[in-house]
This record gives sequence, structure tokens and C-alpha cells, in this order.
Amino acid sequence: MKVAYYPGCASHGIAKDVDIATQLIAKDLDLELMEVDDWNCCGGGFMDDKNEAVHASLNLRNLEKVEKMGYDKMATPCSVCLNSHKVAADKYENDPVLKEDVDQRLKDANMEEYDNGVESEHFIWVLIRDVGIENIRKHVKRPLTGIKIGTYYGCQLLRPSNVMGFESAFNPHSVMDLVAATGATPVAFPMKTACCGFPLMGSNPPVALKMANNILSSARNEGSEMLVHPCSLCHLQLDVTQDKIQRQFKQDWRLPALYITQLIGLSFGYTPKQLGMSKGSIEYLRSRGIS
Amino acid sequence: MEKKEYDAVILGGGLAGLMAANIVAAAGFSVAVVSKVFPTRSHSAAAEGGIAAYMMGNSDPNDDPDFMSYDEVKGGDYLVDQDAAELLSKKSGEIVSLLDAWGAPFNRQPDGRIALRYFGGQTYPRTRFIADKTGMALLHTLFEHSTGFKNIEYYNEYYVLDIVKEGNNVNGLVAMEMKTLNPIYLKSRALLIASGGIGMMYKHTTNSYINTGDGQGIALRSGVALKDPEFVQFHPTGLYPSDILISEAARAEGAILKNNKGERFMAKYAPHKFDLAPRDIVSRSMTIEIREGRGFEGGYLGLDLRHLGKKYIIERLALAYDAAKNFSGVDASEEMIPVRPAQHYFMGGIDVDTTGTNHDLNGIFSAGESACVSVHGANRLGSNSLLETVVYGRETGNTMVEFLKTHKNVETNSNVEPIIDAAYAYIKRETGEHFGVLTEELRDIMWDNVGIFRDNDKLAEAVSKIKDLRVRARSMYVTDKTSNYNTELFNALETRNMLDVAYTMATAALNRKETRGAHFRDDFPERDDKNWMKHTITYLAGDEVKISYKPVTYTRWKPEVRVY
Amino acid sequence: MEEKEITVNIKKYNDKDGAFWKSYKLKADKYTQMTEVLRRIKSEQDPSLAYRASCHMAVCGSCSMKINGIPSLACRTIALQAVDEKNEINVESMDYYPGVRDLITDIDVFYDKMYKVMPRLIADESVLMGENEQRMTPENQTEVWKFQECIYCGLCVSACPSVKEDEQFLGPAAHAKGFRFIDDVRDTKKSERLDLLMDSAYRCTSCYMCYEVCPQDVQPVIAIKKTKNYLDQYKGNTPITIMARKHDDTVENLIETTGKIKESTLFLKTFGFGEAMRDAIDMLKSGKFKYAFEKDSNVKNMNEIKNMMGEKK
Repeated sequence: MKVAYYPGCASHGIAKDVDIATQLIAKDLDLELMEVDDWNCCGGGFMDDKNEAVHASLNLRNLEKVEKMGYDKMATPCSVCLNSHKVAADKYENDPVLKEDVDQRLKDANMEEYDNGVESEHFIWVLIRDVGIENIRKHVKRPLTGIKIGTYYGCQLLRPSNVMGFESAFNPHSVMDLVAATGATPVAFPMKTACCGFPLMGSNPPVALKMANNILSSARNEGSEMLVHPCSLCHLQLDVTQDKIQRQFKQDWRLPALYITQLIGLSFGYTPKQLGMSKGSIEYLRSRGIS
Repeated sequence: MEKKEYDAVILGGGLAGLMAANIVAAAGFSVAVVSKVFPTRSHSAAAEGGIAAYMMGNSDPNDDPDFMSYDEVKGGDYLVDQDAAELLSKKSGEIVSLLDAWGAPFNRQPDGRIALRYFGGQTYPRTRFIADKTGMALLHTLFEHSTGFKNIEYYNEYYVLDIVKEGNNVNGLVAMEMKTLNPIYLKSRALLIASGGIGMMYKHTTNSYINTGDGQGIALRSGVALKDPEFVQFHPTGLYPSDILISEAARAEGAILKNNKGERFMAKYAPHKFDLAPRDIVSRSMTIEIREGRGFEGGYLGLDLRHLGKKYIIERLALAYDAAKNFSGVDASEEMIPVRPAQHYFMGGIDVDTTGTNHDLNGIFSAGESACVSVHGANRLGSNSLLETVVYGRETGNTMVEFLKTHKNVETNSNVEPIIDAAYAYIKRETGEHFGVLTEELRDIMWDNVGIFRDNDKLAEAVSKIKDLRVRARSMYVTDKTSNYNTELFNALETRNMLDVAYTMATAALNRKETRGAHFRDDFPERDDKNWMKHTITYLAGDEVKISYKPVTYTRWKPEVRVY
Repeated sequence: MEEKEITVNIKKYNDKDGAFWKSYKLKADKYTQMTEVLRRIKSEQDPSLAYRASCHMAVCGSCSMKINGIPSLACRTIALQAVDEKNEINVESMDYYPGVRDLITDIDVFYDKMYKVMPRLIADESVLMGENEQRMTPENQTEVWKFQECIYCGLCVSACPSVKEDEQFLGPAAHAKGFRFIDDVRDTKKSERLDLLMDSAYRCTSCYMCYEVCPQDVQPVIAIKKTKNYLDQYKGNTPITIMARKHDDTVENLIETTGKIKESTLFLKTFGFGEAMRDAIDMLKSGKFKYAFEKDSNVKNMNEIKNMMGEKK
């Protein structure tokens, strides 16, 4: 099955491991990821702070490229990119004043009016709905039995639910279902849908780090050994940035954070190194007998 | 006990109270606004359709304020004081401009001027609106405007116990902080009662849970008269079964009432105005249809919006659409909305003149639904309640300013202990009647006997039953003995107020032996101008309601037959 | 009408006994609102039950609480739609605000935030004197009304993660209110309002929780983003806005020149050399430093990007 694929800047940059792992498991699952032609940054979470119309235009450009490639869906591994494209398309449809501005911009760039022909989707939605949990389970060569994984959703994947549309914003279970498929034990925790604080890193880092720490602590308090999340930017915030959190809160523990396809990749038999994981995660998994 | 002194105390944080508060504060006087809820929770927020206004240069070219007054007078079945109606019409345009200047985001015409639409009983379209949440938007506008005054202090979630009098002068009121049950004496020489309506004494009402006639109750107990308390409006389109209001805006925008045969039955009862005839006429027609078996099972009729199209419905009637969807599970663009009449408005109220002054007690004023000026007479037209609250809220505010300039606060503090003891008695008593039982009985009696169709037997029964309930209420007690936001105590105090007000309503209704506007007597089905073209004035004296009369003020319109 | 027996578990609270759960059974039909459920519990089973409710049609904002863990208005919640497979519903008071009694919380902190944004229109003097009329396009009215629809229910603030961690954040509702006036052509205090709101706007983490829980669809987070759109016009400087300016300008510049974001450049420009170096050391330690040199291709058709990003139309 071919899927239009929007990697997003982070997964082609310092969250490269998100892309690495996603590409690996996609191949195993016979998903052919067709990278969106000449895609651009969606500006998710920031460009709409500068200028809503520019933001919407940038996102619609990607969606038009997907349409030209002949697809009506675009999958991304990044919740922020997902949210960005979905909210932009929603505003374009429902805000006539914004639409007028956007249409002019698209025209200036010799592009057409967007006809809402492409649905943005999260890569995990494709996994659950199109590939199927059972099918994923069949590919598991190394069940991660006994490992307790905090299942984190974050904000952008779920909210606003009337725009995102895949699952309940308060009682989601997509990540849990995927974690269960790997044989690991999913652990729900109170702050599973709270924000990791990444968007505040560019303006108010102390509070951003506090929020990240809240997530990690909440997962740990419920007995998680590791955390799994669905977002390239959560990955930046919860993986390497943990060093900063440790310093700020003088903490002596770490909770290794994996991107969801990294965990699935592990169960498919790939090594932590092949999946591009950070040293902290590699070391922890080694201590649990996984390498 | 805590005591604070102000120039004016205002009971009620709805539109009338806040308008007056803004006016009095702008003149430099200190104001306390006392409400059992945070001001934006007041029932004004529930007014949906709009506010009627003749605006010079922005109205139908054929319209003028006299047409508007005429509509009010005829709509109110000639019980309207015509000078009051004329004042209301004359000031309608400027009050809307003032609200606009204070920030109310009225819907606009393409050229940027304030938009307008038709409402029931109007000769020309005059209703100005803010989507279909006009009341909420205006309430927020006035509340937010008031946050600019340092001399307005809010006592939110304070429950009024009674008025404090010294001789024939107002000397403030006593209230109780709901969170702690601590009493507070708020002393002032001017007291405005702007506490809204009485809906909760009816089993079916569009009113908020908080509308329990508190202001009218404390007024009656202080020897202040209620005028025309027999006149109660039943709104035609309460959503079945929750009685949530489906705004008249729906019919103004073209919705049609239909019976179980699919007939537009209003053609029979109001061959010219159809579904937009005044509310008393539509509600009675609906009741007849249901009574004669042409309603749907469960006792309701259909409000058909389907021909308006989904987009238009959502744009113009968002609240009605949402209400039908959320509270009755009906998509109004695909199905008819189930509706039935429900209590909606109290035309009667504290007896005041066109300045908002009551003459029973020196220093007492009233405005809005708690008052009876009377601009609505025997039946209120749609879009006129919001108008009354702000026009008369401002008139009364101005009157209070003049009063405050020429009067000083009473020097002595009154003894308020008996007021507080009476409230605490409900907690101290260990056995007796429970408020829940009394309230439910009252709600049934009022709906069944003092409702849309009335007669001597029903009303006489109501009077005797309410009399009995009032006796039983003297031994009311509450099971919750804590002083920690004891809502049970406040429910008991509300029941006391509702019973006092209901008693005057039923008595006055039994007394008025004619049919006029919303007061429909099966045994006297005609209007009787010869004997009954007069206001009822009721005082509560112990177990007795004392009735007297006041003439209706005429300026130019002679009574005529009321057909639509 | 068909009725079903349901169990309502309510987390009660009073000063003397603290918090405890209590269950009530009653019958409900498919129209029964949670406000009606509470009213009936109070009048038939437990008169001491304390909660706020007024209009029961979602315009007064009184009956805010958590129903099955979801910040909700009780009146907007139909009992039979909210029950779980065992026909149970859990009801508790809102998060964040101090509890007073049962479902009643003290939301003064919410009101205080609202008061801080000068929540009133300041029209031109000539309008107040009645010398001039105000006009407003229908489009402007629509947008102002969207953000004015807030009913002070407090749900967004109770659920906001930034409010909990940052006292200086005004919170979603106050921002929607504040922006409603910035956006109103009739108002005369735009620059004062930006002074009140801009720093706080950058304390929002854009998690869309307020958008999710708002019963009026006010979308406060969008109001915050629209406020940030005015950063270029804002003359003031706070540590927060200085950093945000650097960050957002860098993002914009990167997209304008390459069509994509390079996080490493962004870190360097936003946090400055020192902090970026600390990050680099963390990256080195984690073994991910190599990703900092990942070089994705720039967008090929940069003309499209540049033309789209041109001046506001």
C-alpha cells in the first residue's frame, strides 16, 4: 500500500530517529511511504503565531502537492505537523475572511484554490486503521513482554477533537493499542494527554521544562519504565532535553522516551541502534536484556 | 455582624440592576450590587431574540415611535400605561446606541449599521439582535462596563434576607454570604430591587433555576405593593421536554408551528399574523390544539424550520438549533422541533411609576422584570423585556441619582437581628416540613390552576392550597446543619419568597373576573373594559392579600378589539 | 418515555469531612440533563448536595464540573449519553480551583484574570457624547462575537496546563476577552491592550485544551495566536517577548529562505551561543549530535514559498 508521507522538518533534522524507525517498520508492513514532492515546513505552532494566512497557505501548499501526486490522504509521524495541516484546512473552510487572504497568496504563488481534497492523518492512524493491530502483531518477532510502557498522547494528536476526529480527546487508546501489540504492558497515567511543554521552549523555557517533568513524573509514578509518544517534537522535549530537566529539578532518575515506531521496531527485531535511539534509551534497554 | 454603608444598594446583577449601577456610579455615588449569583449568571443571559428599538435613520422608513407604542399598548391588551409605553419607545433608539458605544456587538448590516428583524406583534421590524444570545451579550457588556468603576462593589453569591426599614424609610438590606452563612448588613438610603422573575414556582418554565421571586417576596414582606400579579406570560415554544426556550426569533425568521396533521394551525387563530401573533394568543391556540387531540404523543406540537435550510438556521438561529440538538436530540434542519408552552415572564411586579419609584416606602425603587411600570400590561411583546430592563434601568438609575442628591442615609442603625434569627430558625429546627415537598406542590398548583386557562374553581382552590402551604412553611426546616455553602437553607428561603408571591398572584387572578391578555378566564372569556380597565394593587398583610386598584394611564389610544 | 436506572457517583466535599464519594440511583430518560439529575438528587435524596446551576441552557456558565473526568457543563450533558457500560456516571468539581462544598469551587482566581485585561470597550469620546455613530462590518462583528461568546464558566482555566505552572499567565478566557477588544474596530486602546496581553500570550503552550473544553466554541487558543500576530506592532519588551521575537523571526526567516526549519540554527538564534552549546553537549552525550548536521534539501520551488509569504493581503 502506498501512502503519501510528510516527514516534517524535525524528523529530517534532530529527531531523525523518528524518521529512521518509521521507515523501517513501514517497509516491514508493506507500506510504501511516498515522500510529498518538494514539501515545505508547515510552520506548525509558530507560523500561525506570526501570520495565520501565511501559515494556512504553507500547509495548503503541501496538501496540494499531495493531491497532484494522486493521493487523498497524507500521513505524518509528527503530531504538530498533523495538527498544523488539519487546523489550517479547517480554518480555510470555515473562516471566509482568512480564506480570501489565503486564496490571494496561493494565486500569487501560481497555485490553485484548495478544494479540501486531502485529509491529513497521523502515521499511527494509518497503522491502526489501514494496517491493523492484528497485522502488526503478526510482525512481532521479539515480544517486549514485561516492559511497562507509559503511553503518552500529548496535545496536538488529540485536540481539538472535532477537527482531529480520530479518537476521544479524553479517553484515547491508539497508543495503548499499539504498545499492547508489541507485547509490552501499556501503562495509562493521569497526564497522558497533557502538553509536554515544547511550544514554550521558544519563549518560556522554565515552565516548558516543568511541564515536561510533570509528564515524566506522572508516567513514572504509575510504574512506567519507559515512555512512548507519537510526536517528533515531544521527542525533542522528552528525550535529549531530559538532561536539562534533570539539572533544573535536581533529579536522579531518567525515564527513557521512545517514539512509537521505535518501540514497534524493537518488537519487530531491530536493534536500538538501528532505530537511531539515544544513548540513554539504548542503555536502559540493554539493562532489560534488549539490544 | 459585619456592616457596610453605601449610598445605594442594588439587589440583582442582571441587566436592569447593572444599568442602574452604571448610572448611579457614574454620578459618583457608592453602590453595592448584591446577587445570589455572579452577575453574568443572571437570567438576563437567557434572553435570546433581541431588543426592540426605533432608531432614527436606521428603521423601516414607514415606522415611527408611535407605531411602536401602539404595538405595545395593543399587545398588552390596553392594560399598558401609555405614558410608560411612549417613554419606552422614545428612548429605545438612544439606549441601543448607548449599548453599542459600551461595546455590545450587535449584528450588522453590510454598510456597518445595526441590523434589524421582525418579532411577534410588531407592525414594522424593530428587533436588534446579537446572534440569538442578545441577552447574554448585553449582560456581559453592562457587567464589563461596570468593571471600570471603582465605586461599585459586588456582593456576588450573597442571598438577600429582607429589607431594613426605619419608619417609612429604607435603611438598607440584610444579606447572607452563601459560602459561610455569615450575615451582612448593607446600609443605604436607596434600594433598587432588580431581581428578575418568578418562574421556578411553575412546573414548566423557561426560567433559570434562580428565578424565585426573591425581590418581590422581600418587598411584600416590607409592605410594598405588587401591581398586576395575575398576569403571567406563557411562551409558546418551550422545548419539549426540558422547557428550554426556543426563541421567538425562530418564528421571526420563518419557522412555522404545525399540529399532528401537519396543519399550520395558527392560520385559524390569527389569520393575519399567523405564528407571529402575540404570545398569549399563540400559547392558548397551542393549548387548544393539544387539548383537542391534534398534538403529538406526550403533548407537544412541531416547530418547523426545515424549509429555512441548514446553513441559514445555523447562522441565524444557532442557539435554537443547538438546544434542539443537545436537549431533545432533534436536528432542526431535518425534523420539527418539539415544543409546548411554558411559563416565561411575569408582567406583574413591584408597583413603580415611570421613574422607577415605589411610593409605599421612601427610598425604594424597582426595575426590570421584578418591577411593574407598566409597559407590558396584560401581555408582553417579544424583544420588549430587554428593552425595558435597559431603558427603565437607566431611568430608575437617574431617579436614584436625584434622590441621593437630596436625601441623607438614615443616621441610626436598625435592629436587624430578627431578620437573621428568622433565617437561622430553619437550620435550628430539627423537624418539620421540607422545602422540596412544598416547592413541588406549589409548582403543580401554579401550573395546573394559575396557568394558561383559568377559572373560578381552579383559582379558588389555588388560593386555599397556597394559604395552607404558607402555614406549613412556617415549620420548614433544613437537614443540612453546616454553615459551609448550605444551599439547602437558601432553597428554603427561596420557597418562603415564592409562596408569598404566589399567594398574591393566585388571589389577584381569582379577583379579576374578565379575560385580558395572558389572564384568560374560561368563565369570563371576554375583556371587560367597563369594570376591569384598571391595575390590581396587592399588599400582603399576614395571611391576607389586600387588593385595591389604580387607573390605567391613557394618552392617545382608545381600547379596540384585539385581533391579529 | 422509556427510562433507565442510572447510578451517579458524586465526589462530595465539606470543611468538616473532607472529600468522599457518594452514590445515588435514579431514573433518567434520553432527554434528562445532568442539571436535572442533580436537582432531583437534591430534592428527592440528598438535600445537602451543593452545586451551582442557573439557566440550564448553556448561556450562564454556572454548572461547570468534571463529568467522567471531562470538564463539562452539567446542563450540556445528557445523562444517558454520559453513562458507561454499567450505567454509571462520575461527577466531581473542577480541577485547579479550591473546593468550597461538593461541586462548588471558588473561582475568584478566574474572575481576577478576567478583570486584568480591561474587559470593556473604550469608544471614542465623540461616540460616547453621541456626536458620532459607530460602524462595524458584519465580518468584524462575526469575529468579535466569536470571542465575546465566553460565558465565564471557568472550564478552560481549570484544564489549562500553563495556568497551573505560571501565575503570570492570564489564561485562555481572559485572553479571548482581551483579544475581542483588540479586534473591535470601535475600541481606542489597542496599544494599552497589547501591553496587557502580549507577554502573557507567549506563556500559552498552544495545547488546544481550552479549545477542546470550551462549551461555547470560543477557541481561546486561536485568540492567543491572533494576539501574537500583533507582535510586530507591539512596542514593549519583556524577557518573554524578546525571546519569542528571536525565536519566531528565526523560524520565519528559515522558512522564507529554505522552506524548512533547521532546529540547530533555531536553537542557536533563540537561546544564544551559551545555552545552545549546553544543548549541543547534551546531544553529544546522547549520541544524537550527528543529527544536528542532518541536512535536508531546501524547498526547490522557493518562489512559491516567497510569494505566499509576501505582505498581508
